[in-house]
Amino acid sequence: MSWTIDEWFVVALARTIADREVVFHGFASPCAQVAMHVAKRTHAPDSLLVEGATYAVDPVPEFVPPTSNDLALHRDAVYRMRFEEFFDAACRGAVDRMFLSGGQIDAHGSTNVTAVGPDLAHPKIKLGGGGGGCNISASIGTLTVWTTRHRSGRTLVADLDFLTDIGHRTREGTRADLGYTGGGPQWLVTELGVFGYDDEGHAVLRGLWPDVELADVERATGFPLRVALDPDLPLLAPPGDAELAALRAVDPLGVRHLEFGEKERIREFS
Amino acid sequence: MSSFHLGGDKRTSLADAAALVGDGAMVALGGGLCARLPMALVREMVRQGRRGLHLVGSAHSIDVDLLVAAGAVGVCEESYVGFEQDLGLAPAFRRAAEAGTVEVRESCCATVLAQLRAAEMGVPFLPVRGVKGTDVEGVHPEYARMRCPFTGEELVVVPPLRPDVALLHAPMGDAQGNLHLEQPFVLDERFAHASASVVATVDRIVPTAELTASGVVVPGHLVAAVAEVPYGAHPSSCYPGYAYDRAHLAAYLAAASADDVETYLDGYVRVGEDAYRDLVDPTRLGGWDDSVETWQELFR
Repeated sequence: MSWTIDEWFVVALARTIADREVVFHGFASPCAQVAMHVAKRTHAPDSLLVEGATYAVDPVPEFVPPTSNDLALHRDAVYRMRFEEFFDAACRGAVDRMFLSGGQIDAHGSTNVTAVGPDLAHPKIKLGGGGGGCNISASIGTLTVWTTRHRSGRTLVADLDFLTDIGHRTREGTRADLGYTGGGPQWLVTELGVFGYDDEGHAVLRGLWPDVELADVERATGFPLRVALDPDLPLLAPPGDAELAALRAVDPLGVRHLEFGEKERIREFS
Repeated sequence: MSSFHLGGDKRTSLADAAALVGDGAMVALGGGLCARLPMALVREMVRQGRRGLHLVGSAHSIDVDLLVAAGAVGVCEESYVGFEQDLGLAPAFRRAAEAGTVEVRESCCATVLAQLRAAEMGVPFLPVRGVKGTDVEGVHPEYARMRCPFTGEELVVVPPLRPDVALLHAPMGDAQGNLHLEQPFVLDERFAHASASVVATVDRIVPTAELTASGVVVPGHLVAAVAEVPYGAHPSSCYPGYAYDRAHLAAYLAAASADDVETYLDGYVRVGEDAYRDLVDPTRLGGWDDSVETWQELFR
């Protein structure tokens, strides 16, 4: 049995979901989207999965299309939330976990999905935008943050050019200072390794993929690296047969590949 | 006097429908991402040379990008503009934002929702749960902070958002402007209630009895005009009629990315809506429900 980095990565994301959690992904999140279905079909059968952009509850899609607001993602869903029904639930704290990514991510798990460059009036790169993250990252129970572009050196940064979504703190203070009702990031999963968060809400490197050295992470990380490696981190245990089978069944189009560059996608394990 | 749109037959041509949107109007675009976008109205506004629009809404794609490419937009207050990982960033929107020719007032789905609800309810503000301390707060001088008189907590409060017009596309409507939509409705219902008026296109005008049997989602008393435009959401999807046309979107993006959107505008937009419909690849419009395999093929 062998598997590729995109498959292992999605399985690691899936393992951040506990059974009986209410879990949500936003649009433009193919890896998280596939991961939620893997969790639902393996270790978290009683999770409640809200499909981002269709707000279908527990759909069983036969494939994940590359666009998030599509009828394929309603398949066999008994119920579809309304837009406002989902956002109300997320704002009042009824949603346990959300997946969040960003063009830039800081040490406290805050993200920038708005623009790169110091001046929003003339940004260097205008990114797509944050959807609903600016509110619901404050109030959802906990967050799984992810990126597949850690190695670029431009993603995990010391300072965000623009803070769109809320991690453990903003420039103004901590979650407690700001009165946020949600718990903030629990995990940051990258194509190089996995971070947890310490008591100060700062990222701590907990594990590396087997073909990655600590020096690779040091080179690619813009914020001060805190390290407490756990060689037995469950998130990074090799994928099981059931997990790989679920993943390959729900993603025949391979939308998960869309998040990985050519050079990453060839990473294979057995 | 009521702001409801009373009485009679609301049917009109696409040109007259689009003409109800003035230069500089605040416009809410219905649908979301690549689904049920009011594309025929977008194309018609481009043909009519609309300028200075203030777009508001949630997550959008070719509707916003095409209007920006044609020079129709002054302010963009959406929560996302792009084509997800599949087709990437929105090229014309990105160029205009980077050059500063469009003012970007980055917003958030839940904030827009609160602002629309304030408009619907006729109250001067509503609080939101997040935003506080983010840079999104910084680009909106119209937001404020307020201490809750009951709990003492400090929250960001936002004013009503009352668009001049909501542009919606529906699979079915009747002559009185009643509209049937399929889920997800995204913000269409909220736009319809919060805006001064709704201007709609529908794939089919049907008898009222057929419409009410399917369910009215947006009532005619909110609608100023309705135009029958088959495939009016194309190249976005409008299920159960048609899936989205990925090849067409990719062709648009190739032109827009090469800063050659004029070729697309000349070839597909300025030719008129009937000619546009004739140019669309019919194999892309039907057959999505023949089998799962056929459906999947549309996304490759």
